[in-house]
Amino acid sequence: MTRRLFILATLSFWLAVVGFAASHWWLPARVAETALATPASAAGDPTTAATADASRSLAEVGRHREADDCWMAINGEVYDLSRYLPEHPSDPEVILAWCGREASQAYQTKGRGRPHSARADRLLAEYRIARLQQP
Amino acid sequence: MTGARLATARRALAPLAAMSITLAGVGWAFPDGLTPWRSVGIVSGWAGTGLLVASLLLMVREARLAKLLGGLELSYRWHHRCGLLAYLLLLCHPLALALDGWAEAPPLAWQTLDPRAQSWPLWLGWGGLLLLMLGLTTTFAMQLPYRRWRSFHFVLGAGVVLGLTHVYVLLGNDRLLLTLLLLAMAALGWRLLASDLGLAAHPYRVTQVEARATGMIEAALAPCAAALAVSPGQFVLAAFGDGVHYRGCGEYHPFTVSGIDDQGRLRVSVKALGPCSRRIQTIEPGVLVHLEGPFGSFLDEVHAAPQLWVAGGIGITPFIAALRANRCRQPTTLIYLYRRDRHGGDAAFLDELRLLASQDQQLELVIDASDEGPPAVDRLLDEVSRLAERQVQMCGPAALLAALTPALRRRGVADGAIHFESFDFR
Repeated sequence: MTRRLFILATLSFWLAVVGFAASHWWLPARVAETALATPASAAGDPTTAATADASRSLAEVGRHREADDCWMAINGEVYDLSRYLPEHPSDPEVILAWCGREASQAYQTKGRGRPHSARADRLLAEYRIARLQQP
Repeated sequence: MTGARLATARRALAPLAAMSITLAGVGWAFPDGLTPWRSVGIVSGWAGTGLLVASLLLMVREARLAKLLGGLELSYRWHHRCGLLAYLLLLCHPLALALDGWAEAPPLAWQTLDPRAQSWPLWLGWGGLLLLMLGLTTTFAMQLPYRRWRSFHFVLGAGVVLGLTHVYVLLGNDRLLLTLLLLAMAALGWRLLASDLGLAAHPYRVTQVEARATGMIEAALAPCAAALAVSPGQFVLAAFGDGVHYRGCGEYHPFTVSGIDDQGRLRVSVKALGPCSRRIQTIEPGVLVHLEGPFGSFLDEVHAAPQLWVAGGIGITPFIAALRANRCRQPTTLIYLYRRDRHGGDAAFLDELRLLASQDQQLELVIDASDEGPPAVDRLLDEVSRLAERQVQMCGPAALLAALTPALRRRGVADGAIHFESFDFR
């Protein structure tokens, strides 16, 4: 019984993971494009619009990991947070650790798994510099 | 509190402790105002983490703790249940987070899961989950030899540590997280150092070895320091070391004690069932043995009511220990079932049992030898007088216990009057 449950759960898990990984094959192209475009346009910031077509790879983000040169990839967008770091309310080490990295999960799971506030989302949009190039 | 009530309370302790740890984690991190899938992801992650820590705590092999939790076998059963439930919840954790991304924009779902888009804190989470998957795959592989199974089981411990580190790195320094991490490390450390390496074990020395049946020996053990306080019906975990001509396998295996004297000397009977117990058949006096325990509460309440004892093969060991220690205080029928072959079969202690029965008027001995097929359980039980009034104690192969239990129920024996101990510690 428990053995069957383990096998069934593990197979279902991998099936779901493969399903997500292959979503660009089975998802209608129109849905994918529309969905990806939504977060950028929702930001409603002139800077966003100006750099909407620029894209940066995660490797490039990785070259900016200092306190005075700090880029982060969050939810498919790239942000230059160098100017903002001194204003961040937490212990500097907490945010510095994410410079040069994919930080979506960390951004969405601030303290006890809670996301940042809507105010923080609006603030973040001001530092957007490009779209994250998909691997 | 009566013995039965105390036993019931103890049986509830392990699930209560597991539930408390889990609820503490979920309560602390309970989401507020988040999207439904993110909330599911957070709750499943924390519930899984709490249950994993509980599972580690229930793996600790220590005599007093095992007694407090209603026995080692029960403790291990909850260890398995918590571990499996934790695994199922932790499988839901990344999938729920991916579905949260999906709700926002479908391509974000894979981006949430894709390790190439992540950094090391999330790789730790993936690493922990994959190790749990590998460890549980080998746990459920029934054909795996014990030693290989055991080494793969350590992979689960590494998975838990990686998983907790993943949470700790993501959420930072917090008292609850730190407590969970320390509890997990303490449980793993105790299990590795005190139990598996035997730092908390009691040293004994083999003083005598006697062949009792085909492929079965009885070894007399004398304490080198403080002796364990063992009662008839209990078992110890023993690791046999090296002798002049003997090389022990050094692994801890459970053996029911078959004799206890007032100077703390013990006797254990070992049947050749696997590679290690086959090697023990050639053990010699002088070998150092490390013992852990004692564990179990089998035969704890044999003085309260008339008894029916049923032993199959090597299952005679707890009963011979009880009979050697004391005369029966209640009318007791001992049915001893064994296999007969041309080498004598697996009957042990036959002459001694007959002698003990002749000296004890309360003891009725029924010996039944079978060549092939299942023993005639119904015929044997029909011969037992006032069966429904008796407390039944059974020890033997699982197939025998499975055949006896429904036959006893049909004859009016209540479930609470049927006692047996399982020795499957995988």
